[in-house]
Amino acid sequence: MNILEKITKSDENNSDSKSNIQKISLERLRANPIPNSKNEIWRQTNKSKFSRFLDFKFSNEFYYPPIPGHANIENTCRIIIGENRAINLKEKNWAIKELEEQEILNFLKQKIIQSDSTQNWSNLLNHFLTDKKNIVGLNISGTAIPHLEIICNSANNVLNSKTLVINIEEGTTVSISQINIGDENSALSISSYFNIEEDSVVNHGIISFGKDKSHIINSLNVRQFKNSEYNLGSLQFEYDFGRLEININQVEGNARTNVKGIQITKNNEQISTYANIAFNGPNGFLDQLNKSLANDKSHSVFEGLIIVPQIAQKTDASQLSRNLLLSNFAKIDTKPQLEIVADDVKCMHGATISQLNEDEVFYMRSRGLTLEEASKLQLRSYYQEIISFLPISKERWDLLALLLKDK
Amino acid sequence: MESKKEIKQPLLKISDLFASTDDLTILKGVNIKINSGEIHAIMGRNGCGKSTLSKIIAGHPSYKITSGKIELCVNDIEPLEPEERAQSGIFLGFQYPIEIPGVSNLEFLRVATNARRKFQKKDELDTFEFEDLVKEKLDIVKMDSAFLSRSINQGFSGGEKKRNEILQMALLEPKIAILDETDSGLDIDALRIVASGIKKIANENSGIILITHYQRLLDEIKPDYVHVMADGKIIKTGDSNLALELEKNGYDWTDEFINKN
Repeated sequence: MNILEKITKSDENNSDSKSNIQKISLERLRANPIPNSKNEIWRQTNKSKFSRFLDFKFSNEFYYPPIPGHANIENTCRIIIGENRAINLKEKNWAIKELEEQEILNFLKQKIIQSDSTQNWSNLLNHFLTDKKNIVGLNISGTAIPHLEIICNSANNVLNSKTLVINIEEGTTVSISQINIGDENSALSISSYFNIEEDSVVNHGIISFGKDKSHIINSLNVRQFKNSEYNLGSLQFEYDFGRLEININQVEGNARTNVKGIQITKNNEQISTYANIAFNGPNGFLDQLNKSLANDKSHSVFEGLIIVPQIAQKTDASQLSRNLLLSNFAKIDTKPQLEIVADDVKCMHGATISQLNEDEVFYMRSRGLTLEEASKLQLRSYYQEIISFLPISKERWDLLALLLKDK
Repeated sequence: MESKKEIKQPLLKISDLFASTDDLTILKGVNIKINSGEIHAIMGRNGCGKSTLSKIIAGHPSYKITSGKIELCVNDIEPLEPEERAQSGIFLGFQYPIEIPGVSNLEFLRVATNARRKFQKKDELDTFEFEDLVKEKLDIVKMDSAFLSRSINQGFSGGEKKRNEILQMALLEPKIAILDETDSGLDIDALRIVASGIKKIANENSGIILITHYQRLLDEIKPDYVHVMADGKIIKTGDSNLALELEKNGYDWTDEFINKN
């Protein structure tokens, strides 16, 4: 059975109630039923894990997830996508409004029509699967803005699909944490769109954590306008199959983008990050660091691409991939790439793969720290750089303690 | 009136020690005994095995003892892991202290101090108690408390790194401290601060081994014994005058000695 058959079969009972968006997406998928394995962003994908992702029975039912961390969420607007509850925005007088349904659908329709179906296969799959109640659209403006916490979850033994569309109006500063929770034996498709208008600052954190045999495909699509700043911190762990696709477009250049992410794999897991950062105007800035830590027989993948066309003069971009192998059987593939046409730019990229530094470990052991304590301190420092970049407080959720718990 | 005879406790005894790395024998029969309250200096040319000896005492995993014995307070330390040796009271001051980005100096010092205190059957210190202790010890090496909030040795100057080593020595209260070229890379003022710190920490219950190339550290800290090392063994032992002789005559005679023997 090919992948397209699996998709349509997984949803055959609901085919009549499909929205226009879902139908258009299906048509596009029919033209490209399988992601092209020759395409860089699918070449390293573990086919059996990906196939298993699609084996789950699709469900658009809502399952209330166990929300991690401490319950204290003062001055936080929490939205659980798919929850059948009006978002309490007006009452709190927060400067966040829900987008009209038609507005969201028109936006997504444009995206589907314009998109390259090979590059955007994950989004097409998402838009085919997601029904209206699992789409959240928000417009954020002004100054009375709480921290936004958006929860996307998958339930046991099913495939869930969620879509998020956020417009950040001119001159707005906002922090948004997106928590993707995977239940045991589950699959989750998420596509999110951020439109960041001029002079805005967005601090965005994506924390994806699963359980035994969780699967996730998370596609993030960001458009930045001039003088905007987008800071993305990401953390992915405990997914049997995890995939984060980051597409950032500095539409006019003259914007700042900082991206720091870490993916942690163990057992037989595969977690991948694909980053495509395009500068379509001059004076753009990018600082990207992707870290991975691979243990046991796991596989970690990072592929990054920085695109600097002729128009993007004076671009200053850096993309670094730092990787730590904790086992002789683990595998790391990393490929930061530059595609530069403009001639007056400063771009650098690099990748390192290493094991825990023996000199550092011996130095700490010679002061009485056990091998375990020394390794833990080293890992703490490895994680800390990324964790401190995520817009989520230690009081809300102590991620560092969580990550060091089993080490 | 009969003079009171001083009784010194043997702290570290190294007997006929042979050690190698990657099938290359580096130590070829080292013998040395350090009693409590003594300061020993080990001098010798580059590559004679001084730093290797210090690392082997501290338990560096790259080296293997092929024969001989190292005893700390009459206990053979060969089976002990590096951290167990440190907890038992062996301290190695590194020639090139390692930078560990992201690991807080304060947290590292606290974990290390508590590991040693646990072994000494003393109460472990919480964050506040430790901060009080470390502030007191900072004064010994004239370090600013701002160093504590930085990552271990990251961005420290050469002198600051060496002072951080002596701060660690002050906190860990070792039985035997081996200071590997602690004087290298220090200007005169920094050398005096480091030397003064070592003298303040030295006491009658502990022993110190200074590994050095230069007389200037020994001008500040007068050793009880000076050992000359060549080709993996100690070929001559004397008092502090031996260091002065080396300063004057150099090490050429050690080649002749090795060739003859």
